[in-house]
Amino acid sequence: MYDYIIIGAGVIGSCIARELSRFNVKVLVLEKENDVANVQSLANSAIVHSGHNPEPNSLKAKLSVWGNKLYEDMEKELEIPLLRTGAFVVAHNKAEEEQLFELAKTAKINQVPEFSILDYKEASLIEPNLSKSVTKVLSLPTTKVTYPWEVAFAAMENAIINGVEFKKNSLVTAIRKENDKFYVTVNNSDILESVHLINAAGVASDDIASLIEKNVQFKIKGRKGEYFVLDKRVKGFVKNILYPLPTELGKGVLITPQVHGEILLGPNSLEVEDKYHPTTSYEGLTYVKDHASMLADNIPFNQIIRSFAGIRSTSDYDDFYIKESLEFANLYHLGGIDSPGLTACFAIAKYLVNDVMNVNKKYALNPGFNPYRKKRKMFHRLSQEEKQDLIKDEPLYGNIICKCEKITEKEILDAMHGPLGSNTIKGIKKRTRAGAGLCQGGYCEEKIMKMIAKEFNMSPLDVAYDKEETKLFVSETKVKL
Amino acid sequence: MIRDIVVIGGGASGLAASISAKKRNKDVLLIEREESLGGILNQCIHNGFGLEVFKEEYTGPEYAHKFIEEFMDLKIDYLVNTTVIKLDKNNDDFIITLSSKELGIRNITARSVIISSGCYERTRGQISMPGDRPNGVITAGSAQRYLNINGYMVGKKVFILGSGDIGLIMARRMYLEGAEVLGVAEIMPYSNGLNRNIVQCLNDFDIPLYLSHTVTNVEADEDKRLSAITIQQVDERFNPIPNTEKHFEVDTLLLSIGLIPDITLLDDLYVEVDPKTKSAKINQAYETSVKGLFICGNSLQVHDLVDNVSKESSRAGLSASDYLDGLVTNRKKIAINPGKNILYVAPQYLDFGWVEKDLLVSYRSSKKIEKALVKVYQGEKLIYQKRRAFIVPAEMETLTFSYLELDQNQDIMIEIEEV
Amino acid sequence: MAKEFICIVCPRGCRVIVDDQGSISGNQCKRGEIYVKNEMTNPTRILTTTVKTIFPEIPRASVKTDQPIPKGLLMKAMEEINKIVIDKEMNIGDIVIEHILNTNANIVLTKEIKRKEERK
Repeated sequence: MYDYIIIGAGVIGSCIARELSRFNVKVLVLEKENDVANVQSLANSAIVHSGHNPEPNSLKAKLSVWGNKLYEDMEKELEIPLLRTGAFVVAHNKAEEEQLFELAKTAKINQVPEFSILDYKEASLIEPNLSKSVTKVLSLPTTKVTYPWEVAFAAMENAIINGVEFKKNSLVTAIRKENDKFYVTVNNSDILESVHLINAAGVASDDIASLIEKNVQFKIKGRKGEYFVLDKRVKGFVKNILYPLPTELGKGVLITPQVHGEILLGPNSLEVEDKYHPTTSYEGLTYVKDHASMLADNIPFNQIIRSFAGIRSTSDYDDFYIKESLEFANLYHLGGIDSPGLTACFAIAKYLVNDVMNVNKKYALNPGFNPYRKKRKMFHRLSQEEKQDLIKDEPLYGNIICKCEKITEKEILDAMHGPLGSNTIKGIKKRTRAGAGLCQGGYCEEKIMKMIAKEFNMSPLDVAYDKEETKLFVSETKVKL
Repeated sequence: MIRDIVVIGGGASGLAASISAKKRNKDVLLIEREESLGGILNQCIHNGFGLEVFKEEYTGPEYAHKFIEEFMDLKIDYLVNTTVIKLDKNNDDFIITLSSKELGIRNITARSVIISSGCYERTRGQISMPGDRPNGVITAGSAQRYLNINGYMVGKKVFILGSGDIGLIMARRMYLEGAEVLGVAEIMPYSNGLNRNIVQCLNDFDIPLYLSHTVTNVEADEDKRLSAITIQQVDERFNPIPNTEKHFEVDTLLLSIGLIPDITLLDDLYVEVDPKTKSAKINQAYETSVKGLFICGNSLQVHDLVDNVSKESSRAGLSASDYLDGLVTNRKKIAINPGKNILYVAPQYLDFGWVEKDLLVSYRSSKKIEKALVKVYQGEKLIYQKRRAFIVPAEMETLTFSYLELDQNQDIMIEIEEV
Repeated sequence: MAKEFICIVCPRGCRVIVDDQGSISGNQCKRGEIYVKNEMTNPTRILTTTVKTIFPEIPRASVKTDQPIPKGLLMKAMEEINKIVIDKEMNIGDIVIEHILNTNANIVLTKEIKRKEERK
């Protein structure tokens, strides 16, 4: 019997789990995927927006400005990576400049700190590759970039240390409520009981709601966004995030430096029929290239190492939908958490826990709560001296497994263990970046496969890329197929 | 202690370079990141290696073994399981930072460096293939390693994108091991592999080759495994032609869409790079724009024959020895430029400081040409020409001529004329 | 009608033409002529593949036929080779199967099988 069951372990579910672990409550997180941060949190722009864009007085405006500030604290408590890029929203002509001034007004109302308007000359001194067609920019220095996977890992690891239970590969297949208790069926078999139920299922949040509610208050429409990744060798091409002017479709195609040096181009924004299978298309990727080219000149397209499509759980409700169910007390929905969801995630968790669910009024504090979490070491980022020190005690830091990203055997072993250890190729990649570089795992996947098999005493035939069904191999050779 | 030469990479290229330098009494250290020498040859278990160098036909592992034996006999120093993580310059010397379990992180100083780090496979991301991103899309070389070294099949219903040699070789290997190979699609109107591989890897097993076709969609099942692909014919500008779609239900898509020289180690040295070869520009002595830094094998240009890798790298080892012996003086260079119908040339410079008198140039044509006349000009002056019955981009060509008589102030241009 | 063959003897891949009279041209060496004559009567191929071993650090070792075998026997030869498991250290060139499928060809190792401890 749990006090709270959270459905979904994206950045939102993970942050809520951590926030709840401050209290003396029994919490379980259910995730249908094989890992945290595997759907919407997996593939996005990784931006912590300043809060300049949302409609004033909306929940999005309030929680994104607050969330942006909370990242500064979380950098210390959870060692979440932050790259303080700042951002330029660009205008190309008089009409767009008018819109830019309007946007600056919104920023002011939303209490975005330190914004200013620069002309092309000032802006191009900071960003030499800024497109020459740009006339003015809105500078938003509090905009930054994080690493969404690490946000989810950090929050969930910290939650687990503070007593939260986490179950992956757990698809919720039925929900009913009887005698003030929720009965949650997982994978059509186990039934779990909880007093409260939190629906943080992202793209699937309307489907989860419909398992118990007759009249679901929001519908997830699913908008995909396609991206290119430029190799980290392009680091420094832009320092600021470059935004076009926003439209009703969203913030548009951006150029976004990433914490590990790569640069993202994208996303476009297209409503899709199948929200569970966002795919890239020739037209979509061409659109991204064309629109990115309006922001900067001489984009090094020859350094593209990957393209991908992510999904946003955009809903038909105009704002974040963070409310108690109209039909069932103690059931809470987080619907339509699209952009700026990543920006707002820590604020969303606080808002839900304290203002919507009033947990602080119902339960005592968890006396053992430890807000701190140590990040796994990124060995190649340490100084020569620090490296030598670590290697002395742990020679496996000397063995490079992923040569593109320079990830060592020790880091990969560490990623397999600990509160959120992983035994999949993708899980290791998300935790260490092994396989995220130039050769995209062509060189290190085999080595990691062998390490997983050895460490978990598995046959290589059982090693999976991600979910259990995605085995690397169909059989040994020399046997009848 | 300062080494004469550090060779980075112990495959076909690094072995040959080390051997030729050691024979010139140079103090050589070879660094290999894998646990054994031989590089990619170890997984190339097919035959066709060695006809030029040994006048006999070997498989990859046998060919590597020949070189490793000679390497061991010469007692050349080497490190395995060791990765070079940084290459820097300190005045005229090089600082090589290496990392391994046994040695930790360590700096080595050398008077010259030979890069023989091979190439990596182009991935799906680099060609922006549309569709879903399921498990089951894998580069042909990775699948080859799993198959031949580890003994695992990545799938049993296979399609191959790209007609590079590895793709063709893998079509046959997967077929022989019991997989169904449904076809090979090539975006160009000609194959990128050797002709003999089309015959003995595809035709022998009735595996269809779709020229001027590419993959235009990738589909996944519920569990994010590859379930099907669509290929489409393309026009001259490589745009898909509507209503030419062909659908294949497969569990594996092997990619053989090109190899790219691995020169990430050169990033800190500001070496002049040729966008055409995607590697460092060199002079005829395989020296990059950084004095004393040499590059050869597939990290210089992607070869179709390992014999040429060995010969080229052996010359690079000798060049590094010349450099160390102080035989290179009065440097003055001119450019060697690719002209009509030429995809690339290497070397890109001729440096008159070197002592040989013959210039060997490797090049590839940009298209298939029957009855070709290869011409070398210095300004208006035709300085060399040769006829070739047949030139295709898939096969690297070479030409050799004396440069003793050349004007030291004017660039050279190489072109192919269709007769 | 003239027939074109692509010689597979070496990676050069010569285009060899056999005209109506049976005269052969286009080959750059004698072996091309022999190849084409064989190809018209009894096409043969070198088979390269792997065999199982009992050694975990070398789960597979590469092998080849030491001379070409009839093209039609390739898959049958694979079946025979797939039955083999090597359980001892061996050298390059050592015979794994003698006279495979009653041909003159042997299956020989193209990689030495040496346990790690004893290497070097």
